Amino acid sequence: MKRFVYINDDSCRYSYCGNRISNTKYTLWNFLPKNLWEQFRRFMNQYFLLIACLQLWSCITPVSPATTWGPLIIIFIVSASKEAWDDYNRYLSDKKANERKIWLVKDGIHRQIKAQEIHVGDVVWLHENDEIPCDLVLIGTSDPQGICYVETAALDGETDLKTRIIPTISANLSVEQLGKVKGVVECPNPDNDIRRFDANMRLFLPIIDNEKCPLTINNTLLQSCYLRYTEWACGVAVYTGNETKSGMSRGAAEPKLTAADAIIDKLTIAIFMFQIVVVLVLGYFGNAWKYTQGLKQWYLMYPVEGEAPWYDFSIILLRFELLCSIMIPISIKVTLDLAKGVYAKFIDWDEQMFDWETNTPAHSANTAISEDLGQVEYILSDKTGTLTENKMILKRCCISGTLYGNDNGDALNDVRLVNAISSNDPDVIKFLLVMALCNTVVPIKSNDDTVSYKAQSQDEEALVNAAANLNMMLISKDSSTAEICFNGSKFRYELLDILEFTSDRKRMSVVVKEGQIGKILLLSKGADEALLPRACPGQQIQKYLEAVEMYSQLGLRTLCLGWRDLKESEYKEWSKNFQEASCSLDNREFKIAEVCHSLERDLHILGVTAVEDRLQDGVPETIKLLRNAGINVWMLTGDKQNTAIQIGLLCNLITSEPNSQLLSISGKTEEVILRSLERALLIMKNTSETKDLAFVLDGWALEIILKHSKESFTRLAMLSKTAICCRMTPLQKAQLVAILKSAGYLTLAIGDGGNDVRMIQEANIGVGISGREGLQAARAADYSIGKFKFLKRLILIHGRYSYNRTAFISQYSFYKSLLICFIQILFAFLSGLSGTSLFNSISLMAYNVFYTSLPVMTIIFDKDISETTVMQYPQILLHSQAGRLLNPTTFCGWFGCSLYHALVVFFITICAYSDEKSEMQELSMVALSGCIWLQAFVVTMDTNSFTYPQILLIWGNFVAFYMINLILSAIPSLQLYTIMFHLCSQPSYWISMALTVAVGMGPVVAFRYFKNLYQPSAINILQQIEQSNGSIQASGNLESARANLTNLLTGSRKNRDCYYHPLLSDSAESARTY
Amino acid sequence: MNSHAAGTSNGGSGDAAAGGAARRNTRMPKYSKFTQQELPACKPILTPKWVVSVFFIVGVIFVPIGVVSLLAARDVVEIIDRYDEACVPSNMTENKLAYIQNETISKECIRNLTVTKDMKQPIFVYYELDNFYQNHRRYVKSRNDAQLRDASKANQTSACEPEKTTANGQPIVPCGLIAWSLFNDTYNFTRGNENLTVDKKDISWKSDREHKFGKDVYPSNFQNGALKGGATLNPKIPLSEQEDLIVWMRTAALPTFRKLYGRIYFDLKENDTITVRLNNNYNTYSFGGKKRLVLSTATWLGGKNDFLGFMHIVGGLCIFLAFAFTLLYFSKTKDFSVLAKASVYHYFSLTPYTSGNANPICGFGRKLGDHNYLSWNRHPAGR
Repeated sequence: MKRFVYINDDSCRYSYCGNRISNTKYTLWNFLPKNLWEQFRRFMNQYFLLIACLQLWSCITPVSPATTWGPLIIIFIVSASKEAWDDYNRYLSDKKANERKIWLVKDGIHRQIKAQEIHVGDVVWLHENDEIPCDLVLIGTSDPQGICYVETAALDGETDLKTRIIPTISANLSVEQLGKVKGVVECPNPDNDIRRFDANMRLFLPIIDNEKCPLTINNTLLQSCYLRYTEWACGVAVYTGNETKSGMSRGAAEPKLTAADAIIDKLTIAIFMFQIVVVLVLGYFGNAWKYTQGLKQWYLMYPVEGEAPWYDFSIILLRFELLCSIMIPISIKVTLDLAKGVYAKFIDWDEQMFDWETNTPAHSANTAISEDLGQVEYILSDKTGTLTENKMILKRCCISGTLYGNDNGDALNDVRLVNAISSNDPDVIKFLLVMALCNTVVPIKSNDDTVSYKAQSQDEEALVNAAANLNMMLISKDSSTAEICFNGSKFRYELLDILEFTSDRKRMSVVVKEGQIGKILLLSKGADEALLPRACPGQQIQKYLEAVEMYSQLGLRTLCLGWRDLKESEYKEWSKNFQEASCSLDNREFKIAEVCHSLERDLHILGVTAVEDRLQDGVPETIKLLRNAGINVWMLTGDKQNTAIQIGLLCNLITSEPNSQLLSISGKTEEVILRSLERALLIMKNTSETKDLAFVLDGWALEIILKHSKESFTRLAMLSKTAICCRMTPLQKAQLVAILKSAGYLTLAIGDGGNDVRMIQEANIGVGISGREGLQAARAADYSIGKFKFLKRLILIHGRYSYNRTAFISQYSFYKSLLICFIQILFAFLSGLSGTSLFNSISLMAYNVFYTSLPVMTIIFDKDISETTVMQYPQILLHSQAGRLLNPTTFCGWFGCSLYHALVVFFITICAYSDEKSEMQELSMVALSGCIWLQAFVVTMDTNSFTYPQILLIWGNFVAFYMINLILSAIPSLQLYTIMFHLCSQPSYWISMALTVAVGMGPVVAFRYFKNLYQPSAINILQQIEQSNGSIQASGNLESARANLTNLLTGSRKNRDCYYHPLLSDSAESARTY
Repeated sequence: MNSHAAGTSNGGSGDAAAGGAARRNTRMPKYSKFTQQELPACKPILTPKWVVSVFFIVGVIFVPIGVVSLLAARDVVEIIDRYDEACVPSNMTENKLAYIQNETISKECIRNLTVTKDMKQPIFVYYELDNFYQNHRRYVKSRNDAQLRDASKANQTSACEPEKTTANGQPIVPCGLIAWSLFNDTYNFTRGNENLTVDKKDISWKSDREHKFGKDVYPSNFQNGALKGGATLNPKIPLSEQEDLIVWMRTAALPTFRKLYGRIYFDLKENDTITVRLNNNYNTYSFGGKKRLVLSTATWLGGKNDFLGFMHIVGGLCIFLAFAFTLLYFSKTKDFSVLAKASVYHYFSLTPYTSGNANPICGFGRKLGDHNYLSWNRHPAGR
C-alpha cells in the first residue's frame, strides 16, 4: 500500500488525517458511556451493580437499597472525575501542541497557521530551533550544500546532531521556486519505523522534468525533532497528526493494574465463590426450614401451597445473596484509591528526592501503582542520560609514553602537559592536531565568536573540546577545508578524504594537506586493537598497550591516535583507487575497507586518549543497593556495545573478571547468533552460583532471536540477573520489557529520552528522568525523578511502604466485611434462615463507609521499620517482592481472624443479651459495638508505629462512633431512637464490650507474641534490632533471630528466581573479544 | 517502649544543605514532618515484658468484675412456670391444636407457684415464648412505623404484607403481622385471698409511648379479617396507651424471648403459694413453642443471667497465662543466651553493609547487618 502526496495540491488534502495530535482517551460525547463501560469491565463493579439492582426488589432486600447505591454512585463519580481530570490535562497539552504557530508556503506566499491545520502535501517552512510539527520530506534549506541539522533526541534518544540532505532533484531550487513547487511523493503507508523511509519523489513541470528521485530517511524531517544550526528549512508534509512516525510509535498507554491489585482481584473472586457456596447452602436450608418449620409458624402467614409465585424458591436464596453481598467490601476501591493518592503525594512531597541541580521535585503522574514499586523484580534502564550524565570529558592521555592526568586531576589541568605544549613538543602538538582534525565534528560559531561543537559522537566532541582547551582550537570547517587556531595563530588544512568509521574497522582517518607547506598527512584514530597492529615496525607499542589496559580498568573510553606522512605520489595513486571503490556498485563497503586498509599502515602511534562519560552522582551505589535488594538490573541502550560494557563496569552492573562472566550473543549470520544463544543458555544453567553471569546482545541479534528462538531467549532472560543490550531501537526496548512481563515478572523501565517512551509505557512501572533530553520520557512515565539515584528511595522507601500499607488496607477491608457478614450469617441460624439482617441499613452503611474506613486509613502513616534500616538492609525488599504480606496465606489468616471475631462478638452478644433483653435493635447495636471495639484494637495491633494522626484517627473514630449513635438515638423517626442511651446506661453493656475485646484480642496477642518471639519474620527481627539499639542484653534470642533473618530473606526469593547470586565475571567469550 | 522519630535516610540530606540558599525560588516541596513522613512515632513491639503485664493486668481487672457480676446474678430470684402443656385439658393432649383453635372451649387455667426465696418488690412478670421467630424476615419487616405514629398516615401500609388491608381495601391500623399476632394470654395473681394486682402501666419504653406510637392513633379494622391472629385491641384507646402492643412490637432478636407483662408491687415471702389464673389463648401448639410465666426480681445488672460474671471469672485465666508466658520465656531463652553472647563477640569484627554515607544505626545492627548473613548468597534459594 502506498500513499501519493501531491505537493501543494489541494486535491489530496482531505484524503488523509489532519495534523491534529490527540492523546486523549475520551471526547466530550463518549465520555460517559465509554467511562461507564471501562469501569464496569472490572469484576467488582459489575458485582456491585448486580447487587444494587437486586436490592431494588423490596421483597428480597434485607436493607434499604441506598446501602449499595450510595457507595456505588460515589465510587463511580470519584473514579470518573479522576479519569476526566487526567484526560482534560492530556487535552490541554495536546491543544498547546496543536495550536503552535507554523509557517506555511503556498504559491510563493508565507502564511502562519496553527500546527493542527497542516495537511498532507503542504510545504512547511521551519526556522532554526523550531520543533518539527509533522513528518516532512526536506526540499530546501538555507545551506548552499543542501544540508540541515536536526536533533532527534525526542525520537530516538540520541542527542547528537544528525545531518539531513535535500534530495538531488530539488537541490537547485531557488527560494522562490520552493514556494511554488509542485510534484508528487510516493511513499509507504504510515508505519513506526524511524530508521526507514523508502519513497520516491517527482517534481512536476515547469520546474524540473519528469524524473524520479529516490528518498531515504536522510531526506526527512520527522515530527518532534528539532531543527538546529540551520537558518531555515522547508519540507513537504507526508505524514501528519497521529500518523507520523513518532505518533505511530507512541502507542496507546494501557491503564496499569498493579500486582497487588491483581491479587486483590483474585481474592475477591475467591471470596465471591465462597459467598456463592454460603448462599447456596443457606438458601437450601432456608427453604428446607420454611417447608418443615416455617409453614407451621402461623404468625408468618406463609401463603398456602399453590398460591406462591413460581420464583418462590429463589426468594430466600436471593435474600441471602444480598445479605452476604457485604462480604466483598464495597469500600475497598475507594479506600485503596484514596490511600494510593496519598502515597503518590508523599512521593511528590519528598524532599530527599528533590533534585537541586535541575530544580525538579519527584512527581508521580500515575497515582495508582505505587505498591508495584515495592515489588519490582527487573529494572530496565536506559544508559545515556539515565545512568550517565551524558557529558563526556577527556580525563587522561598518554603521549609518547608519558602519562598525563592522575587521580587528582584531569589531563587538561596537568601542568606537565601545558608545559609540553608551550615548549612546542612536536609529538604533543601532533597529538592535539589529530584530536582536532580527525573527526566529523561540526564547529558552530555563535554571535559572540565563541565556537561550540556538535558531533555525531560524544567522544569526538570531547576530544575536540579538550584540544580547544589545550589551545588547539578548531575554528571552522566545511567539506573541503578546516581552520585551526593554535596559540593564537591560524592554520588552514585542506581536507582531502575522510576514511569513515565503521564498526568493522573500528577506526577512522582523515587525509589532510597542510595549507602552507602542502605536506599530505594521514591522521588516524581508533580502538587499540584496530590501530596498534598497524603501527610502523620498530615502534614500541608496549607502553600504549599498558596505558590502554590501565585506562579501561578505570572505566575510561580509550582511543589510540596515530599519523603518518603521505607522499604526493602515494596519495594520488591511492586516491584513484579510493574513488573507484567508492563508485563501485557491488560490494562497495568491502572494497572501500580494503582501500582504506592499504593506506592505514606504518602509523606513528602518538598516544592514547581516555574519555570519561561521567556517571550520574550515586549511580554505582544505587545499582549495588538495588541489586542487593534482589532486583535484577538490565541496561538497554541505543549505544555501541563497547561503551555500554564500559559503563556497565563503571556502575556496578557487571564486575570484571574473575567473579563474573559476560556472555556475548552475537554473530554475523542467524545461525551463529542462535548458536551463541544456546551456548549462553547452557553456560547460564551450569555455572556455579558464585559466578555472576551477564549477557550482552545487540539489536540485530535480538531481531533474529525474537524471530526464531523466542523461548530460549525468555529462558535466558529469566536466568540472567544482568544484561546489557546495545543498539536497541525504541521498539526493541519495549519488546524486551514485554518478554519479561510475559514471563510474569514485574518490570520497571527507566529512561530519559523520547526513545524510551515505548518501553516506559510497556513496563509495569515507567520512570522518567526529567533530564537533559527533554521531558518526553518524564511526561509519558508513571513517575518522574530528577536523578537515577532517587530510584533507590522511590523503590525501597516509597514502594515498600506503599506495598505494606496496601497489603494491610486490602486485607483489613476484607476482614471487616467478613466480620460483619459472618455475624449476619450466624444470626441467620437464629432467625429461621429467613435472611433477616441483624443490622439496620444505617448501621451497615456507616460501618462500611465510616466506622471502619477511617481507622484503616491511618495505616498510610505507618512505617514498619525506619527508612535508615531499610537502606541498610535492602534485602528486606525481597519480603515485599515475593508478596509476603499479601497472598492467599496471609489472607487466610485474616479470614480466620474475622471468623473467630464474629463468633466471639455473636456469642457474647446473644448470651449477655438473652431473655428479656433480647430486643432486636439493642442486640444489633451491642453486636455492632463489639465489632467497632474489636476493629479499633485490630488496627492498633497491626500498626507498627504510632504517630498522632494515627492515634487520633483510630480512637477519634471510636469516640465518633458513640457520638454518632448517640445523636442518631435522639432522632425519633429512626429505628435507633433511644437505643444508645439505653445501652450506655447499662453496666452489662460495658462489661460485655470488655469481655469481647479480651476474648477477641487475647489469642491474637498471644499468637503474635509467640510468633515474634520464636518464629519471627525478617521484619520482626529488624524491628527488634531497631528497638534494642545496640544493647546486647535487651534481646537474648537475637542470635536465633539473626539466623532466622538469613533464612527468611533467603526463602523470600521465588523459586523460579535464581540458582546463584549475581557477581559478574569475564571469560573466554568476554568483553575483550569485541 | 521506645519512642523516636523515624530516621532520615542518607539520600538527599547533602543536597538539601547545598541548596539551602536557593530554597527561596524553587519548586522544592514544602518541608514538613508530615509531608516527609517523619512525624514523631512510637514503635511498640510485642516484648515479653509488655505481653505478660497486659495479660496480668487484664486478669486482675476481670476477676473482681466477674465476682461482682456473679453475686448480682445470684441475688435475683426467679420463678419459672411452663404452662402450655399443663393447661391443655387431659382429654385433648393428643390434639392440642384443636383445643386452642376451638373458641368454645374455655381457656382458663389455674397454676400454683411456690416462692422459693424472699422476693422484694417490684416483681417483674414476664411471659416467655420459645421457638417463636419474631426475628423472621417475613415477620420483622411487617409493620409500618409511620402509620403507628401519625393518624394522618393510616393509609401507609406498605411493607405490612400480608396483613395490609381488609378484604374491602380498608387499611388496617396497626397493620402488619407483628401487631396481628399480638400475644393474648392473660394472668391474674392471688396469694391466698389477697389479690396481687399486676401493674401494667409503664411496661413499655417511655420513648416508644411518646414518639413511636401516636396519642391520636386508634386501632381500626384490627382483627376483622377471616383469620384471627392474637389479641384484639380496644378501638377506643389510642395506640400510645396500648402498652401490651408496644411491648410486643419491640421485636425480639432471638427465638426464645421474654416480654414484660407487668409488675407486682408486693413483697413475696419464701414458701408463699401464688395462684395464677390464666387465659391460655395464644397458639404455640401448631409450631411446638413453649410458653412460660416468669416472676423475677432485678438487680443493677438485669435479670438472672450469670454468663457475664462467669466469663469474667474465666478471664482470670489471663493471670495464669501471664505466669506461663514468663516461665516459657525464661526456659526457652536459657538455651540461646550462651550462643548469643558468643555471637556478639564474633560478629562485631565484621563490617556492615552500608549504602553510601549511611550511618549504621547501632552496634547491634552492625553485627546483624553483615551482608554475608543477609544475602541469599550463602543459602541458595532454589530450595
